[in-house]
Parts: sequence; C-alpha cells; structure tokens
Amino acid sequence: MVEADTERAGDFLEGLLDALDVDGDITTWVDEVGGHIDLEGSDLDVLVGSNGETLDALQELTRLAVLRQSKRRVRLLLDINGFRARQRERLVTIVKATAEQVIRTREDHEFQPMSPAERKIVHDAVAAIDGARTESLGEDPHRRVVIRPT
Amino acid sequence: MRDVVVYLARALVDDPERVTVEELPGGRGVTYEVRTAPEDVGKLIGRGGRTVKALRRVVKAVAPKGQRVEVEVLAEGE
Repeated sequence: MVEADTERAGDFLEGLLDALDVDGDITTWVDEVGGHIDLEGSDLDVLVGSNGETLDALQELTRLAVLRQSKRRVRLLLDINGFRARQRERLVTIVKATAEQVIRTREDHEFQPMSPAERKIVHDAVAAIDGARTESLGEDPHRRVVIRPT
Repeated sequence: MRDVVVYLARALVDDPERVTVEELPGGRGVTYEVRTAPEDVGKLIGRGGRTVKALRRVVKAVAPKGQRVEVEVLAEGE
C-alpha cells in the first residue's frame, strides 16, 4: 500500500517536472516512517525555497494528490537535492550535544515546537544515548520534545 | 506556466476534466484563475486555505524571476 502510494507520488512529481520542462532524477523508497521520494536535479533548488518552505508546500500537494487517487492518507516525505537529509544531520548534532548537557547538569531541556518528522528525529537520536530520555509535550502546532535525565 | 497550474490543480480534484485555468496578465503581475466543479472548490482551497497557500507557494517558486503571480480558486461559472 505504502509502496503503491509512493510510486503514485513519484509519478505525480515526474509529471510536474515534465510540465516545468526541467530534468530530475526521482528515487522512491519505503521505510518504517513512510514513503520517501527523493528528487535530484541541478534546476530543482528553486523547489526547496528559503528554509524548505517551498519543499514543504510541494510535499503537501504531493500528499493531497496521492490522497485524491488512493483515498487514504499515507506518510510521504519528499526531499530535494538532499535538503532534508542535511537538516536532519544538523538536528542530530544539536540533539546529541543537548542530551550530553542534560546528562551532565541533570536538568531538562525543552525544544521549540517541531513537526512530527523532526520530533521523531529527536526521539530516535536520544533513544540511542544512555542517561537521557525524551517526552513530547503540548498539542500541534506547539507540540515539542523535552529531553530529561534518566 | 499555465500548464503547471493546470497540472497541479487537476491532480488535486476529483473531477480534473472540469478544471480550467485562465491566465490574466495585469499591471502587478499575472493572475491564474482556476475554475473547478463546485464540489471540488474546497479541495483546492483546503482547510483554512492550506492547499491554495501551498499551490501559490509552488507556483510562485517556479514563476520567472521577478514576475508576480497570484492564484485564485473559483467555482466554474463564477
């Protein structure tokens, strides 16, 4: 199911690149988070936008286009030229340093509100560290992760 | 550009054949008027205008540099 919907997402984006008359490579894959669609192409940075705002908008349209066809909501994550992958690495670096600080000082650290995908990155990164644990507080769009010492 | 708006709008509705897009050049830029079956208007606008906002953002991103674009969603006949 997720595989089929990820394929649909890839087809939707391929059609968009055709309509835009730009070249790009599309790779689709599925893991426990959901379906991933990676676009690579020298003309595609324009679709990332400042801070990934355009990428988020395109991801939203991709999800809706797939929903229209399959009538079910699946988790689809779009990346363009590795933007999200780099963002993820940066976040993991910050989280590791923060977890070490929490362990050292024995004081909680509360992050700013994050998207579900970002929160999962934080939970996963801390889960691999002994001496700290995570919890989510509040409701979207204010839902945020706190790291606590164990 | 109009093709891109048509492509995106048709992908988001249940009745893509009834989607039409008019390109209206104006002094402040280009406006794309998307018309769709009345039942599909809500799908293009989305909850709290979320979908049309995403649509505008993508269309603006791919518009020629320096060109102002606007996207409006209407029911057919409006």
